Amino acid sequence: MTDYAWLVPALPAAAAVIGLLLWRVIAGGPAVPAIVGTAGSLVVAIAVLVDAERSPGTVHQSSVAWTPIDGLSLDIGTRIDGLAAVVAVMVAVVALLVQIYSTAYMAGDPRYATYTAEVSLFTAAMLLVVVASDLFELLIGWEVMGLCSYLLIGHYWQAQGARAAAVKAFVTTRIGDTGFLFGIFVVGIAAGSFEIGTVTHAAAAVPHTTVTVGALLLLAGVVGKSAQFPLHVWLPDAMAGPTPISALIHAATMVAAGIYVVARLYPVFQAAPDSLTVLGVIACITMLGAALAALAEDDLKRVLAWSTVSQLAYMAAGLAVGGWTAGVYHLLTHAAFKALLFLAAGSVLRSVGTNLMSEMGGLRHRLPVTFWTALVGAAALAGLPPFAGAFSKDGVLAAAREHGGGLGDTVYAVGLVTVVVTAAYVTRLVVRTFFGTYRGSAQVHESPLVMTAPLVLLATFSVLLGLPVLPHSYGVARWLDPPAATLPLHVGIGGVLLTGALSLVGIAAVALLHRRRPADDPVTVLGRAAQPLAHAFWIDEAYDHALVRPARALGRGILAADSYGVDPALTGTGTATTFLGGVLRRLQNGNVQAYASGLVGGVLVVVVAVSLAVVR
Amino acid sequence: MSATLPALLAVPAAGAAVLAFAPVGERVAKQLALFFSGATLVVAVVAAARFDYSSSSRFQDVVDASWLPGIDVRFHLGVDGVSLPLVLLTALLTFLCAAYTVGTVPEAGRARQLLALTLLLEVGMLGTFVALDLVLFFVFFEVVLIPMYFLIAVWGGAARSAAATKFILFTLFGSGLMLVAFLLLYAGSGTFDMAALTRGHGHGLGHGTQVLAFVLLLVGFGVKSPMWPLHTWLPDAHTEAPTIGSVLLAGVLLKMGTYGFVRIAVPDLPSGARDVAPALGVLAVIGIVYACFACFGLATSGAADLKRLIAFSSVGHMGFVLLGIATLTATGIQGALIGNIAHGVITGLLFFLVGGMKDRFHTSDFAGLGRGLLVKTPVLGALTLFAAIASLGLPGLAGFWGEMLAMLGSYRPDAALSRPLFVTLMAIAGVGTILTAVYFLAMLRRVVFGLVSDQWRDQPLRDVVATDAVAWVPLTVLAVAIGLWPSLVLGVSHAAVQGLLP
Amino acid sequence: MHLSLALAVSALLFGIGVYGLLARRNAITVLMAVELMLNAANLDLVAFDAWWRDKLHAGQTVALFVIVIAAAEVGVGLAIVLSVFRLRETVAIDELTELADRDPQLRAGADDQVAVNPVAEDAGAIR
Repeated sequence: MTDYAWLVPALPAAAAVIGLLLWRVIAGGPAVPAIVGTAGSLVVAIAVLVDAERSPGTVHQSSVAWTPIDGLSLDIGTRIDGLAAVVAVMVAVVALLVQIYSTAYMAGDPRYATYTAEVSLFTAAMLLVVVASDLFELLIGWEVMGLCSYLLIGHYWQAQGARAAAVKAFVTTRIGDTGFLFGIFVVGIAAGSFEIGTVTHAAAAVPHTTVTVGALLLLAGVVGKSAQFPLHVWLPDAMAGPTPISALIHAATMVAAGIYVVARLYPVFQAAPDSLTVLGVIACITMLGAALAALAEDDLKRVLAWSTVSQLAYMAAGLAVGGWTAGVYHLLTHAAFKALLFLAAGSVLRSVGTNLMSEMGGLRHRLPVTFWTALVGAAALAGLPPFAGAFSKDGVLAAAREHGGGLGDTVYAVGLVTVVVTAAYVTRLVVRTFFGTYRGSAQVHESPLVMTAPLVLLATFSVLLGLPVLPHSYGVARWLDPPAATLPLHVGIGGVLLTGALSLVGIAAVALLHRRRPADDPVTVLGRAAQPLAHAFWIDEAYDHALVRPARALGRGILAADSYGVDPALTGTGTATTFLGGVLRRLQNGNVQAYASGLVGGVLVVVVAVSLAVVR
Repeated sequence: MSATLPALLAVPAAGAAVLAFAPVGERVAKQLALFFSGATLVVAVVAAARFDYSSSSRFQDVVDASWLPGIDVRFHLGVDGVSLPLVLLTALLTFLCAAYTVGTVPEAGRARQLLALTLLLEVGMLGTFVALDLVLFFVFFEVVLIPMYFLIAVWGGAARSAAATKFILFTLFGSGLMLVAFLLLYAGSGTFDMAALTRGHGHGLGHGTQVLAFVLLLVGFGVKSPMWPLHTWLPDAHTEAPTIGSVLLAGVLLKMGTYGFVRIAVPDLPSGARDVAPALGVLAVIGIVYACFACFGLATSGAADLKRLIAFSSVGHMGFVLLGIATLTATGIQGALIGNIAHGVITGLLFFLVGGMKDRFHTSDFAGLGRGLLVKTPVLGALTLFAAIASLGLPGLAGFWGEMLAMLGSYRPDAALSRPLFVTLMAIAGVGTILTAVYFLAMLRRVVFGLVSDQWRDQPLRDVVATDAVAWVPLTVLAVAIGLWPSLVLGVSHAAVQGLLP
Repeated sequence: MHLSLALAVSALLFGIGVYGLLARRNAITVLMAVELMLNAANLDLVAFDAWWRDKLHAGQTVALFVIVIAAAEVGVGLAIVLSVFRLRETVAIDELTELADRDPQLRAGADDQVAVNPVAEDAGAIR
C-alpha cells in the first residue's frame, strides 16, 4: 500500500482543480469534491499507516527520476516511515473535519467555491511536505502551503486588515524560506544528493562547519513557518482569516510543518549540535514571551494564536534537547486540542458576531456543547491530566531534565514557568468567554450538528491521545520510528503531578481573580506591566521602523535615481555627442582661406612623410 | 539538408509579404496572420517532433549552404537542445499574439500592417535562434529592430516616439559593439561558423583579445538582456508599446540577448569569460535588487503605470538569468535557459493580462485601474493573481527553477571564479526573491483585491472572452506544467549545455 | 636646360601662389594665385616629360588637361565672385563667411545681421 502513498497528496490536489473548474456543474456544490478528496486521502493515509506499522523501523521509499541537474539528479516520490504515516493521518483528519465544519461556518459566503478549492490545495501541499522523498519536492509543498495561507488569510479581502495580514504572513515566511532554500543547497551539495534519505544518512560524515551552516539555514525556514521568535509576528495577524482556516493552517498543520521538518531531518541537526542549541534558545524565548502576550490580548483568536506560538516552542524545545518522540507527540496532541479550541472559538464567534472577549461572557448556558468541548481543549492546553496535553508537555520537560546541561536546565525552568502562564491565560479565556454575565447584545444560539460534531470528535481525540499513561507501550508515540540517539518518551507520575500542580496554581489564581471581580479582565491586576504584554513587546513596531519604512524610502529613492541618475547618464551619450559636435563645429568658420591653410598643411605633411619613407 | 528550418523562416516571411502588399480587408488580414503564424507553429512543432532528444547536444536539421563566399559567410542553420525550446516559445507567442489580435486591435487600427510587421518580427526572432553563422546571426538580430521600432512608434501610447527612438538607438549601439566583437572572433579563429567556434573554445584568440571581445559582447548583449545599467530603454519601450509588442518584446527579444551570451560569448571566449564573469555577476545582482526596489516604489507610489512595473520586474528576472550565466557552470546555464523560457511564458502572460485591462479600462495606470479587479472582472483578476504568483518564483510554478538553479550555480561556481564573491551574490539574490514577493503582493493589493471604486461600480465590464482565453490559457497551463515537470526544458538542454563549457 | 632650373622656377611660382591663396584678401587675387599654382604644376609636368623623354608624352598630355581645367575653373570662379559682388558689394574673402556651421540660434542672428546692415561691413572692403 505504501506504493500508493502518492495518492495521499494527489487526491486533494485533484479535488482542488476539479472543484475550482467544475463546481457549478457538480451536484451538491463545491463542498463535494473537497470532502470526497480529503476523505479519500484519509482512507489511503490510514491504509499506508497500517502497512507501515506492519514492518516498524523500515522506510518505504518509491521515487521516479524527475529532472537532471548537473552532477545530481532529482527524484520525486514518497518516503514513508512511522513519522510520515502518523502525521499524514493527523493532517487528513483535521483537514476533513475542517472541511465538514466549513460547510456550515462558511455557508452563504459568495466565494465558498474558491475557499474549498484553496483548502484542498493546501491539504495537498501539506501532505506533500509530509510524504516527500526529495528536498525540492518538500520545498514545493512548503511554498504552496504558504501561498494557500496567503490566499486564505486574505479571504475577506475587502477588509484592509485581512489584506495586510496576508501580505505580512507571506513575506515573513518568505524571509525564512530563502534561508531554508540555501540550507537545502548546503546540505544537498554536501551530501551529494537532495534525497531526504541520503541526506540523513550522510549527515554524520559532512564536515562540521558545513553541516552547522546548513542546519542553521534550515532553521531559518523552520522559524519562519512555525512562527518562532523573531519571525513570529505574522501569526497573530493571520487571525484575520476565517476561523476554520486558523484551526487548520495556523494551529494543526502548516505551522507544525517546521517542527515536522526538524523531526524528519533530525540526523542533520544531530550532526550540528550548535543548531539544536540555537533552536532551544529560540524556543525558550518564544515559549514564555508568547504566553505572556496571550495574557493581555482581548481578541479571542489572537489569544489562541499566541498560544499556538508558545506551544510550537514547546515542540521545538523538545526536539532541541533530544526528546524527539516527546516533541512529535506534543505536535500530535496540540493538533487535536488546538484545532478543537479554534473550532470552538469559531462556533462562539459565529453566534456572537465579535472577536473581542470584552463583549462576551456567560455563554456556557447558551452554547453548551461548545462550552464543554472547549473546556476539554482548555484543560488539555493547560496541562491537566488525564487530557493529552499534560502527558506530551511533561514528556518534553522530562526530556529536558534528562538532557541536562545548560540548555536542558534552561528549557526545563522556562517550560515550568510557561506551564503556569499557559494555565493562567487559558483560564482567563474560559472565564471571560463562558463565565460571568453576557456583555454583548447578539442572539446567541448553539451551532448546528455539522459544526458541533467535529468539536466532539476532537475533544475525544484530546482525551484518547493521552490514554494510557504509558504511551511507549500503547499510544500513538510507539508508531513514530524515532531516529537513533534520541531520548525515548518518558512520562513519569512525578512529572505529570508537578505539571498538573503548576497548572492548577495558574488556574486557581485567575479563577480567584475572576471570583473577586467577575466583570473585570483578570489581567488588569498587573496594572502598567500589562502594557508591554498587550503590545507584544513592541516587536511589530520595531520591524516597521527597521525594515518597512526604509524599504519604502529606498523604493522611492531608486525610482528617482533611475529617472534622474541612470537614465540621463545613458541618454547623456546623446547630449555628449551633440556637445562634441558643437566643439568640432568651430572649425567650420566659413573662412575659405582657413580651409585652404589646413589643406596646404596637410599636403605638406603627406609629402614630407612620403619623401622620408622613399628616402629610407 | 532538411527543409524544416528554411520553412520555419520562409513561412512567416511569406506571410509578412502577403500582408504587406495584398490589399485585403482587416478581417481577412487577421485570418491570414492566424494562418501563417499557426503554420509556423506547426513547423516548429514538427522540428521538435523530429528532434533526436538522445543527442540534443548535436545540431540537427542542419542547413549549410554557401552564401557570401567572398567574406567567408555561410547560410548555416541548425537547432540543438539550447535553441529548440526558444524556437517553440517564439512560435507559440507569435501565434498567441495573432490570436489575440483577432479579438482586440490597438487603438491606432491598421491591423494588416501591424500583423505584417509582427510576422516580419517573427522571422527575425526565429532566425536569431537557429542561425549558426555569426554574420547571419547578426543580420537576424538586426532584422528584429525595425519592425519593433514601428510597432512602438505607430501603435504605441502617448510617449511612443521617444520610447521607440530610445529603444532603437540603445540596441543599435549594442549591436555595433557586438559586430566588432564578431570581427575579433573571426580575426582570431578564421571562421564565422558558430559550431566550429564552440568546438574551438577560443582557440586562436589570445587572452587579451578574448577579454576585449567578451567585454564588447557584454555591452552588446547586455543592452538587450537587459543588464543594469543599460536597462533604461526597457521601461519606456514596454510601457508605450501595444500589447502584442510588449508580449513579444518581453517574451522573446530579451531572450535574444541572453541566448547570445549562452551561444556565443561563454563557449567561444572561455578565458575572457573567466575574467569578466565576476563583473557580469555583480551587475546582474545589482539589477535584481535595483529592479525590486524600483518595482516596490512603483507599486506603492501614487501615479505609476502597471506596465512599467512589469517591465522593471523583467529587469529583475533577467538579472537571475545573467547570474546563472555568470557562474559559468552547467547548473547556472541550465538555470538561465529555463529562466528564459519561464520568463517568456509568465511575463508574456502578464503583459497579455495588462493589455486586457488596458482594453477594458482604457488605462494601465494604477490610479485609473482602481482596486478590486476580482470583483469587476473575476476571471481576469484570478489570472492576474496567478501570473503574479508565478512571476514571484513560487516553487511549483515555472519561475522557481530558473531562480533556484541560478542561485545553486552561484553556490558552486566555476573553479576559476571567486567562491566567496559568488556566495555573497547568491545571498543577495536570495534577498531579491524576498523583495520580489513584496512588490508583487503590493501590486496585487493595489489592483486585484480591495473594494471597487465608484468610477467602475456600475459599468458593465467584459470579462475574459474566447479570443482572450485562447491567448492566455496555454501560457497558464505551460507555467504550471514547466513548474511541476521542469524536465520539459531541462531534459532537452541538459546535454547541449555540457558541450558549451570547456 | 637642367631639370633643377625648371623645378626651382616651378617651386618659386608655387610658393608665390600659396602666399597669394592664403594671405590676400581680394577674391580675384586668390583666383590668380590658384592659376599660378596650376601653372607651376604644368611647368613641372612638362619639365619631367622632357627629362624622362616620355614616348607617350604623358606629361604634356596632362598639362593640356590642367590648362583646360584651369580655364573652366577660373570661369566658374569669376562668375561666383561677380555674383557675390553684386550681392554683398565686396570681394574680401575674410568677410564671406555665411557658410560657416553655426549653432542654430546664432545662424538666425547672422542672417539678420547681413540683411539689416550690409553696408557697415564695407569699411575697408576692396571693391
